[in-house]
Amino acid sequence: MSQYGTVLAVVLVAMAITFVALFRERDDLHRLLLTDLAEVVSLAIIALVGTDLAEALILPGLVVGISELMALSEVYLVKEGLRAVPERLMHIEIMDSAPAILAGVLVVYGIILSGFSGGVVAGCGILFWFFCKGHDEAFTLIETASGYAWALWIVAFFVFMLAPAYWLFAVMLAGGAILLKVMAKMALIGTMRGDRHV
Amino acid sequence: MFDLPIEGAQLMALEFGDIVDYFSVYTGTLFVFALLFTVLAIVSLPEKPMDIVFGGDAYYTKDIPLDLLRFQRFMAIACGLATLGAMASGDIFNFTLFSSMIGITNIGIVAAVRNRHVLEAAFQYGIVAMVATVPLFGGAAIVLASTGTLSIWALAGAAAVPLLAKIFLVLGVMGEGMAPFYIGKAEITRAPGAPYVLMIHVSSLLLFLRVVEIVLTV
Amino acid sequence: MIISRISRILAGYENLSLLYAVLVIAGIVIGFTSIPGIVYHGDDLYPKTIDRSSALDPYDRGGEPFGNTSVAAQYPENSPYLGYVTAYLTPFSQFLADTTSHLGTTIVSHPGGIIDEILYNTRGLDTVVETSILFTAFAIASFLFRRREG
Repeated sequence: MSQYGTVLAVVLVAMAITFVALFRERDDLHRLLLTDLAEVVSLAIIALVGTDLAEALILPGLVVGISELMALSEVYLVKEGLRAVPERLMHIEIMDSAPAILAGVLVVYGIILSGFSGGVVAGCGILFWFFCKGHDEAFTLIETASGYAWALWIVAFFVFMLAPAYWLFAVMLAGGAILLKVMAKMALIGTMRGDRHV
Repeated sequence: MFDLPIEGAQLMALEFGDIVDYFSVYTGTLFVFALLFTVLAIVSLPEKPMDIVFGGDAYYTKDIPLDLLRFQRFMAIACGLATLGAMASGDIFNFTLFSSMIGITNIGIVAAVRNRHVLEAAFQYGIVAMVATVPLFGGAAIVLASTGTLSIWALAGAAAVPLLAKIFLVLGVMGEGMAPFYIGKAEITRAPGAPYVLMIHVSSLLLFLRVVEIVLTV
Repeated sequence: MIISRISRILAGYENLSLLYAVLVIAGIVIGFTSIPGIVYHGDDLYPKTIDRSSALDPYDRGGEPFGNTSVAAQYPENSPYLGYVTAYLTPFSQFLADTTSHLGTTIVSHPGGIIDEILYNTRGLDTVVETSILFTAFAIASFLFRRREG
């Protein structure tokens, strides 16, 4: 058996274990958590390919897992009728003074990085700002921004496909769009738990 | 590829870089069906379910709130678009992505309903749709590792794809589209909003027909 | 009766994931037999090379900015500017790459690098679908969340 075959067999055993766990589990919440375990296995199978292409395939795989988890957990909350909002747990003085600086630094650094991880860094900055300052009207605004970012991404894709000579423009468009999008999603997911003051 | 009996003649090819979509007679027919139902979801008005009170002549129509209606229509259209993509896709990984999009829009169509029973079924279905990404993406990755390509054009007729990958692809689509598991769906379709809920069935049926074509081709 | 017991299990939607798990495990067991026949060909497309001395270390895909880079794509004829995105670095990252040897740790995030070539260009449709999935899931979550709040 080839090296790949051996490792694949090991991963398949892991996958079987995951599904046995799913088979035995009766509680809904725990089933939801087990799906995360399943995601890890699927990423492992993709990673086994071990090329640059595999790296590019992991990202959609990961995003699909995360987004389905997000939607399903909201369905779970509605289904169980869980309405209680968490109390504001923590307030220390630094949370009044630090946000402007820290969030600013993170956002600027994120914009310099651009692309996916840039979006995450900048999103952390915005999330930190909301965490400390509270968010009121920002929800709709950020949602709109993320919608436009999605549209920009599609535009960039078509520039690549129809007018490849403008690839630099498309890269910048896509890089900017993904920055905006990931940033918005990060900030929103972070603020979606809890009440007006996070 | 188009000399295989299942495909029929080539109608069209769409090039998106490494992903080259194709329409054969088979996938073209499925595509037209998906298109038809997407258009139906766009233009049609939702049903108004009637409740009849037992033991009397009284009956009343359930009102569907406007926001729920708009959300369901949005999800149904998204589901239709995902089905269109899955029907035309000429790349295995791209096809699996479209399948998981169908899975998530199927949850979305019923997720907004306030009926606890429907939500319960939708949640269980969602769990299956989520873990189904494991065999789905796993199948695509095994295809890539064992044949060195993901393009159905290159794979067609070569019979190079291992049995494991084929089983995984079919299992994955079963989980996403729920084609054979209609128990979950029977509960789900208690949700009001007929033309939109219909999209769940159409998409999963078409998806299953498509994966049969892929498994027979590669 | 065994049949009525089985049909009772099949009839309950709370057994859905149980049923699916059984199917997948059966699939794994059957598919296991085909593993010895699998020969690894995964590196036909976009193979990965690691050059430890490069400033872009784990993510160095080679190539001159604004020049042609050889990239093992599936259909190179569909992408006339193949490799341009790979080799491109923003002026800031070019500066970092020239002065430090640690740019590779953040290169994924820059426009450029083959990840982006695949994601943006040759397999761009994948990313379009992926962002659409995120968009839809987000629409579901935020719709439910806002209704719960409002």
